[in-house]
Amino acid sequence: MTATPPTILVCSENQTLARELVTSAKSALGGRPGTIAALVLSTSGVLPAVAGADTTYIATVGDLSAESGAAAVALAAEAASARLVLISATKLGLLTGPRVAERLDAGYAAWVTGVELAADALTVTARSTLYSGVAVATTTFRPGAVVLAVTPDTFEAATETRGEAAVVALDVIEPPSRLTVRSIRPKVAANQGLATAPAVIDVGQGFRAREDLALASSLAEVLGGQLGCSRPMASDRDWFPEWLGLSGLKVAPKLVVTLGISGAIQHMVGIRDARVIGAVNNDENAGIFSQADVGVVADLYDFVPALVDAIRSRGVTLADD
Amino acid sequence: LNIVALVKYSLDIGEVKVDPATSALRLAGVPRRVGNIDKNVVEGAVRLKESVGEGATLKALSLGPVEAKDAFKDVLAMGVDEVVLVEDPFDGEEEGGVAVRILEAALRRLEPVDVVVCGFASDDGYSQQVPSRLAERTGRPLLANVRSLTMGDGTLTAHQNLEDRVQTVAVPMPAVVSVDEEAFPPRRTTLMDALKARQKPVHQWSVEDDLGLAIADLAAASHVAEVRVRGVVVNRRQQVLRGSDMGELAGRFIEALVEAGALKGGNR
Repeated sequence: MTATPPTILVCSENQTLARELVTSAKSALGGRPGTIAALVLSTSGVLPAVAGADTTYIATVGDLSAESGAAAVALAAEAASARLVLISATKLGLLTGPRVAERLDAGYAAWVTGVELAADALTVTARSTLYSGVAVATTTFRPGAVVLAVTPDTFEAATETRGEAAVVALDVIEPPSRLTVRSIRPKVAANQGLATAPAVIDVGQGFRAREDLALASSLAEVLGGQLGCSRPMASDRDWFPEWLGLSGLKVAPKLVVTLGISGAIQHMVGIRDARVIGAVNNDENAGIFSQADVGVVADLYDFVPALVDAIRSRGVTLADD
Repeated sequence: LNIVALVKYSLDIGEVKVDPATSALRLAGVPRRVGNIDKNVVEGAVRLKESVGEGATLKALSLGPVEAKDAFKDVLAMGVDEVVLVEDPFDGEEEGGVAVRILEAALRRLEPVDVVVCGFASDDGYSQQVPSRLAERTGRPLLANVRSLTMGDGTLTAHQNLEDRVQTVAVPMPAVVSVDEEAFPPRRTTLMDALKARQKPVHQWSVEDDLGLAIADLAAASHVAEVRVRGVVVNRRQQVLRGSDMGELAGRFIEALVEAGALKGGNR
């Protein structure tokens, strides 16, 4: 008996992430035949088809909320006969995924970094981050629908088109949202350079005052890097628009130097893919030292100026690739 | 106004260690406690209750092991009236959908409930399923990821922390509210609060006897066949340098980073 080639539905509010999901869907198929359908949510008109998808569904919704998103995803999954649905694990995606799982009576996992659809096209296995990054869980689902929220930046974004992609319009009927939006304040644009910076100087609560960040900036300057930070520096102290870590940005530069970072797992998840991690902390028992390549037990206020001087005087630069 | 705060007795994941040889997790002896996010939930709920004053009630609802009972002293001291602990027949191993079915049944027994306050995620699981699933199942609007919460004229108003914006939104009650990370730093409690808390009840409910749910049905509702867990092993050099001469220490740091392949140059 030959199994019918499966259809995988992908959906993200972000075009680049939607193309990453196409790649994760291809990886799930593992070279076997199958159809990739993409759902694009629109509040106005028609949006471009998603690169790499065989079919693009376009759903016009009243607002880009988790409620209307979930209604549209469930409808598209039904229209496409998709039993595997991939959503990007953005804030909106993480609010939408569990709702879709309820609507489709589907299995669900968040923070997914790997997907496999068995040759029988029935059994889905997902790899996901567990306990904030301490562990990886490999979940095998019972046959049936499965919804996965895939961690952004895990897969390369697809670029090629698969021939002439079909475009299908969907009519989403969803009661109007009961949320009344009174005001909107856009967030300060994130530092675009941080994600691709070759070096990141990662600052933590060891800094006592905002003006002291000049120390970190001088180190970033001599290494051609960018400043990043742990969550309290952004969410409590408001010194930065974004942070590195589980709930923030994840980077993988050649070098991360942490300054006054304790090494909590929720933060380390954001930097642990760096090629090399150097750490400066005055507490010799700080957890960061067991998670770094080279640690220095020193007061960053004394050490960083000496380090900047030494890098300058010795003519040290970042290594080549 | 009847408020229910959902509180999870969570693993202190900062204490979970990985056996470097086998990648196995060392979970034995890892402390459990009311989660940091959950303490923010309690604080947010207590403030809402206090803002209403007379006639407002606040219960905490938790799905967890029996030994969690002692952990609720702080929660009661912070201003919760009583705690309902539903003994978890799956000991935290069930999928989010099953946990929400149990919580939903417990909430039904606690009706009328005007506001359910919960964390946007739990400290340990962090999969962010409960608020959305609960809102979807109960048909209540969800105020997600809130950083403030006020009430007036049957309406809840909150600041929501979203991906690209912060927005002020209002919803009619009954509603579900999920609290953002560190949105409501928990208050310090006094000895007097602790003494008063001793008089407050912690009820223990069973899924089958008190909620009328069959454990077999709940197990059958699961979509998971198998979960395998492997710790993430850190393969770093873990070289630690010490010294009192900062210039000399900086030199050794640079040399070590050159050796690790991050820097080049610096030969003298």
